[in-house]
Formats: sequence, structure tokens, C-alpha cells
Amino acid sequence: MSELIFKDKVAVVTGASRGIGRAIALELVQGGAKVAFNYLKSDCEARTLLAEIEKLGAHGLSFKGDTRDFDLAKEFIDQVKEYFGSLDFLVNNAGITRDKAFMLMDKNEWAEVIDTNVNGYFNMARAVIVTLLKQKSGAIVNISSISGISGIARQVNYSTSKAAIIGMTKSLAKEVAPYNIRVNCVAPGFIDTDMTKSMKEDVRQKSADAIPFGRFGSVEDVAKAVSFLLSERSGYITGQVIKVDGGLHMSY
Amino acid sequence: MVDIRQGVLEIVSTVLEKAPGEISLDAHLVQEVGADSMMALEILAALEKKYRIVIPEEKLIEMTTVNKIIQLTEQSMKGGKKK
Repeated sequence: MSELIFKDKVAVVTGASRGIGRAIALELVQGGAKVAFNYLKSDCEARTLLAEIEKLGAHGLSFKGDTRDFDLAKEFIDQVKEYFGSLDFLVNNAGITRDKAFMLMDKNEWAEVIDTNVNGYFNMARAVIVTLLKQKSGAIVNISSISGISGIARQVNYSTSKAAIIGMTKSLAKEVAPYNIRVNCVAPGFIDTDMTKSMKEDVRQKSADAIPFGRFGSVEDVAKAVSFLLSERSGYITGQVIKVDGGLHMSY
Repeated sequence: MVDIRQGVLEIVSTVLEKAPGEISLDAHLVQEVGADSMMALEILAALEKKYRIVIPEEKLIEMTTVNKIIQLTEQSMKGGKKK
């Protein structure tokens, strides 16, 4: 039985119907948090997650909507505050990939990734920040990627967006630190999700071979790092980028 | 009837660390009195607490003088929902 480190806290997780976001939502619920999440398309998965949250005896709120829409992001946050009466944490997780050789990458494949992975994070952070500033407490965790640190071939768009998130994290961390708000980043390496399932088997094997642990990480591995960075256990940590990658950064 | 003018001036002068008499009601708080956006937020938060009102964050940008803040506070007390 885990400790209720998030008792009475309200957390927002974006893109939580599947993959890493889903694991983060469940990890926070297990820590005692009330969790609101948004999703774009996966109605069925979102319903399942909500049911699981309730099965754990917790309150959840799901919101179908695109983080790329500035006004909708604000509406989502307004609903969260209305429903739960407060707001403490934001986990910016909703992201997409459109991998392609750079010479073949078109304008849309570039723009869609930047719009979701960068502008979406801005929209959500902007929607919550005044509330956190006013109460002089709260924490934000942005999910970046090892791709934004080391670069990955055929991911120029994704890699650019994930590097941008690191800059966003550090600047915002400096700006809101006087208000007792912490902003950190988690950079997952290769994690078992739908996103990496689409990798070709030989690429997958080569990637696993490059990881000192010799295997892909689990979504729970990432969720635990996020939970740490939201909790008071990391109360003096801000502007950090924690790689959850099985040591991959050392072999690049 | 609460004296809003007095209450607002008190909050503004406390946040800006000035004597109430030093702040003219129509002086631009950023350009003439030396406030910044974070101070505006502190003023807004203090007003919400004191008068139990909700001032939408979009109004932050309009909080440029004490008189405008008084207006906004009065509006919120009339029309705004109670916390």
C-alpha cells in the first residue's frame, strides 16, 4: 500500500487515455490525487481509465478536447476548478510523432508536431499558471524525450519539439520560482507504448541493444519519476530534466 | 456599504510598499508607480480574498490605475459570482 502523498491534491494530465499519460494518471490516483485528464480521440480508452480511477475509490474527470486549442485548454481548466474546487499540478504529456526522413518531411508533418507538442504545452501551462501563482503553490511536469536531448534520425520534427520543451521548462521554472511553483521535465528514453510499437523490429532491437539495461522501459517507470517531481519529496528541485531511459543517454 | 476606494488603496499601497497618500488614483501603476505584472496579480488575489469576489484573469491587463481597479472591483461585486 503506497503512502497518500497527494491527498486532497488535484492534478491535470493531458493525453492520458493511453500510454505514458494513462500510467501517470493512475500513479497519481494511487498517491491519493484527484485526477482530471483530457484526450483527443480514444473515447473507449478514456472511459476505461475513468472506470479504473473510480475502482480505486478516487474521483476522476475526463475531458474530450484538443490541447492545440488555446480557448479549449482554458475551458478544460475552468471545468477542473469548478468540479474539484482547486488545482495543484499539471502534467503536460499529450504528444504526437510524425516520423519521416527529413528530405521527405512536408510542412504539415512539421507543423502538426510542433503545434501539439509545443503549443499544446504552452496552452495548458498558460491556462493553469495564474491559479498556481495566486495560491503560491503547485508544480508542473513537462514530458520531453531523449529525442530532444540526443536527437533521433527521422524525428527532426519531434526532436525539435521535445528540445523546445526543455527550454520552456527552464525559463518558466525561473520565472515562477519566487512563487513557490516548481517546473520540471521528464525525458523518457525508449518506453513500451503504442508509439514505439510501430517501430520496425530491427530498429527496435538495435535500440534495445543500445540501452545499458538492454530493454525498453515501462510506462510505470516514467510515471514514478513524474510522481516524484510533483511530490514534496522533490521540494527543492526545479528546472531539471530527469532522463528515464535505462542509461541510454550514456551510450549515445 | 463598504468603502471600496479605501480598501483598494490599502491593498495597492501594501503590495507596492508605498504610503497610500503617495499613490494618485489616476497614476499609471506600471509606468508611474513602478509596479510589475506579478504585483498586479498580488493585488488581484488580495482583492478577491478581501471582498470574496472573482476577478477574471483577463482583467489583469486592465488594472492600470487605482481608479480602474476600484471600478473592476465594484463590477465584480455587482455582477461577478461569489466564491
